[in-house]
Amino acid sequence: MKSFAILTDVTKCIGCEDCVAACKKANDSGADDAPWKWQSEATGLSSTRWTTIERAPEGRFVRVHCRHCLDPGCAAACPVSALKVTAEGAVAYDPSICLGCRYCLMACPFVMTRYEWESANPRVRKCILCYEEIKAGRMKQPACTKACPTEATIFGERKALLAEAHRRIDAEPGKYIDHVWGEHEVGGTSVIYISDVDLTAAGWPARLSERPVPELATRVLNTVPATFLTVGAAMVGINWVVKRRQTIAAETAKQINTHAEGEVDAAETDSERTNGEGS
Amino acid sequence: MNTAVNNRLLVTKAALWFFVGVATVIAVVRFTLGLGVTTALTDFTPWGMWIGFDVLSGVALAAGGFVIAATVHIFRLERYHGIVRAAILTAFLGYLAVIIGLMVDLGRPWNLWSVFFNWNLHSPLFEVAMCVILYTAVLALEFAPVGLESFRWAQPAVRLLRKLTLPLVITGICLSTLHQSSLGTLFLLSEGRMHPLWYTPLLPPLFLISAIALGLGMVSLEGLVSSWLYKREPEWPQISGLTRAASIVLGLYVGLRIGDLIWRGQIGWALDGSWYATLFWIEMALSAIVPAVLFRLPERHGGRWAVRWGAFLTVAGFVLNRVNVGGISHIAITGEAYVPALTELFISIGIVAGLGLIFLFFVENLNVWEKRPERPDRFTRPAVDPISSQFIGSPWFGSGQRAALAWAVGAVLGLILVEAQVSQRGQPRANPVRSPRNVVVEVTPRLDGKGHEFDWIHQPATLASFTNTEVENPSIQKAVLIDSGGAGRFVLFAHAAHQKRLGGEASCGQCHHRNVPLDRGTSCVRCHRDMYRLTDTFDHARHVTAHRVDKDPCVVCHADRAAAKNRSGSKSCDSCHKPIAPLLTKVKVKGTYPIGVAPGYKQALHSLCIHCHREHELAEGFKEPVLSRCTTCHRDQFGNETEMRVQAGWPSPTEQPLDIQARLGSPTAIERASKSSAGPGTKVTPQ
Repeated sequence: MKSFAILTDVTKCIGCEDCVAACKKANDSGADDAPWKWQSEATGLSSTRWTTIERAPEGRFVRVHCRHCLDPGCAAACPVSALKVTAEGAVAYDPSICLGCRYCLMACPFVMTRYEWESANPRVRKCILCYEEIKAGRMKQPACTKACPTEATIFGERKALLAEAHRRIDAEPGKYIDHVWGEHEVGGTSVIYISDVDLTAAGWPARLSERPVPELATRVLNTVPATFLTVGAAMVGINWVVKRRQTIAAETAKQINTHAEGEVDAAETDSERTNGEGS
Repeated sequence: MNTAVNNRLLVTKAALWFFVGVATVIAVVRFTLGLGVTTALTDFTPWGMWIGFDVLSGVALAAGGFVIAATVHIFRLERYHGIVRAAILTAFLGYLAVIIGLMVDLGRPWNLWSVFFNWNLHSPLFEVAMCVILYTAVLALEFAPVGLESFRWAQPAVRLLRKLTLPLVITGICLSTLHQSSLGTLFLLSEGRMHPLWYTPLLPPLFLISAIALGLGMVSLEGLVSSWLYKREPEWPQISGLTRAASIVLGLYVGLRIGDLIWRGQIGWALDGSWYATLFWIEMALSAIVPAVLFRLPERHGGRWAVRWGAFLTVAGFVLNRVNVGGISHIAITGEAYVPALTELFISIGIVAGLGLIFLFFVENLNVWEKRPERPDRFTRPAVDPISSQFIGSPWFGSGQRAALAWAVGAVLGLILVEAQVSQRGQPRANPVRSPRNVVVEVTPRLDGKGHEFDWIHQPATLASFTNTEVENPSIQKAVLIDSGGAGRFVLFAHAAHQKRLGGEASCGQCHHRNVPLDRGTSCVRCHRDMYRLTDTFDHARHVTAHRVDKDPCVVCHADRAAAKNRSGSKSCDSCHKPIAPLLTKVKVKGTYPIGVAPGYKQALHSLCIHCHREHELAEGFKEPVLSRCTTCHRDQFGNETEMRVQAGWPSPTEQPLDIQARLGSPTAIERASKSSAGPGTKVTPQ
């Protein structure tokens, strides 16, 4: 299956928010109420607003939404795989098995995941790349890219879009910053950006490494069976050794005279302490 | 039997019941109204008190269970046998705290079944969940003989469980090792959110080692507190042994933590004197350094005093460590401060209080300790007369009633807290725009023929009188006063005029459902975007900021208070900005465009800006001119581009095919729009 992506060219965005309107319509994500205490403002990314326009330096507009990482932290975080990377590159969400633990919010390096705090049956809300509609064949591309009047944000195969991004940068070297955001960050994302202004302030933190978010944790988790067995074997072994030493000590104590027992006991207690503290 | 009332126990139990009462009410509200109203959690701080304290600290505090079980059953140090039951009970209750805390914290706890059917082996939280479930089961089996031993029918089961002690203990140790460290693994995914002093790839081993130290400290503290409560002598020989072992583990922890910072080259963060560096050293001192020293003080130098404080400090310090890892160290990066809501805090306290009560119940009714404590708080006189064997009843105010009263007082406080929370924090932030007021205005054409002026006639007392106002004179219109800044500075909004201009009844959606569908109120700037546009020549917000020191900033420019707050009614720019070119200045424009007058903003934009921009944009190689399109500003007219151009006396794009098509070689969006038979308002989108 081809891996699909969205390329956003910041220089072309006029900030009209047609993508926001289209997204709301396509996903039926509900009205933006007055800002709740967990929102900075009603126009920020929220559970009802899966994509939004943010202001970048020099009057530029940057559309922000889920980056659809190739190896996403949220999908690794989810204990029940309610968030999953599909073969097409979208990070899809299944509310029917979601526990509502919000670990996905903690694990998102871009802080793009939102939660229905006002609901007693809350879901995780984020851009899902109109995955279901596209898969069912009802849509050819996500609602947002379709709605964009200036083709500032376009949908296509990731490889092709990366090539297009580099083509645009090479064609006008003075215009763009020579960087494709999302090509390598956190192991690559399916939502990539090119821009003539720095996007550090618009959702691309400077500290992002090129290592996928789940990598470190996966490395630890892979050692789990070995740890379990090693600790178990160690405990059985220590127990056996200590028990044997105690039996031998007891037998020795039986054999020698009663007046010597005190010394053996003292020696035994000492060895026990060493064992206990050294563990 | 000691008949004197043990006030310590009485007050402690009443307090515990009180906190349980508070938490019960809040928990009910949390499940009916959701997390938003009962917590201070946000999208930026999705985990708070319940994870940081109840789950992370609960598991760590329960570490005493596996540490003591290992000491007694694996290392076979018989002298600790007396405290093993209490340690297992503490661990079991700690895990219950974790489970209850998780149930409250999970948004959809009823979906918990899916953990068993949808395994994500790459999720640290999956490991945590499995460990919690399995280890709680192991602890229950380890503790079960204590509960069952007094029943005759259960003796076979007790004998079987006793035989299984060693396998159970070993399984428990394995699970605990994984579980304590997996709580550290949880945060390996949050690298982007955490301060480097707390984020390290060594989080899993650090969590394990600190849990061992904390478990030793917690068992000691629990022995000290309960002996104080029941007025009995603490098990000093065992406690001093445990704390001396703890000091070694603490030393190892300090070494590993500091060594790791140096190894990764992050030690500078701890020495830069910042708030987080201070917090780091406070945490290190409280949790490890000071207790390690205190535990090593020889007894003749006030060793018991030192052990008491050491046990307390190490427990408090590691709770602080878990809270730091789980939340406070994130604030440094995300910049989103989080202070737990009172309701959140009381749920946490309530869970601990409830488990405290269960602990006391088990201790009093089962053989948890070697000697069951007396219950001086239960009876102040015997229930049955020892001579006549006649029932004389429990005292009028027995422990049950006391508990119920304390619970009820707590529940009342819970209700008050919830009410305060729901009415203040739970609601959306005060809407910056107050509800509009209906008024009646008289509309008169301006003398210069540009637009209209509004005169506020009166404000109808009720909505009914507003609707029934007889409108004989067509120039008398209904209008709406909209509060622009939440400061009582109203803007007169001619609702009827807007409605008429935009196409009657059918046009409602153009404002009320504009950019943000289903939005309740579209603010003026959504249409009058030029007002706040950063690219505009005039930055309204900047002027507001500059004049905020004035008593009435609006009037500085919108001189006539009663007039509509629009461009035509405001002072001209040059009345303040003297050096700029005044109105009616002749502007020479490059090219063939007319040298002429730009009498107002609208004319200036239409005649000069757009022309120039179009040239500029086409020259720059834009596929489609952006600023020069009518619909860039007249966004509601999307699809009527051609029509609008004709109305404005502008050349239709089809009349200048060379300009655009020669450059692009394909039809433009404008053309497609003009060719399409779609009606007004239909969005035409390039493919």
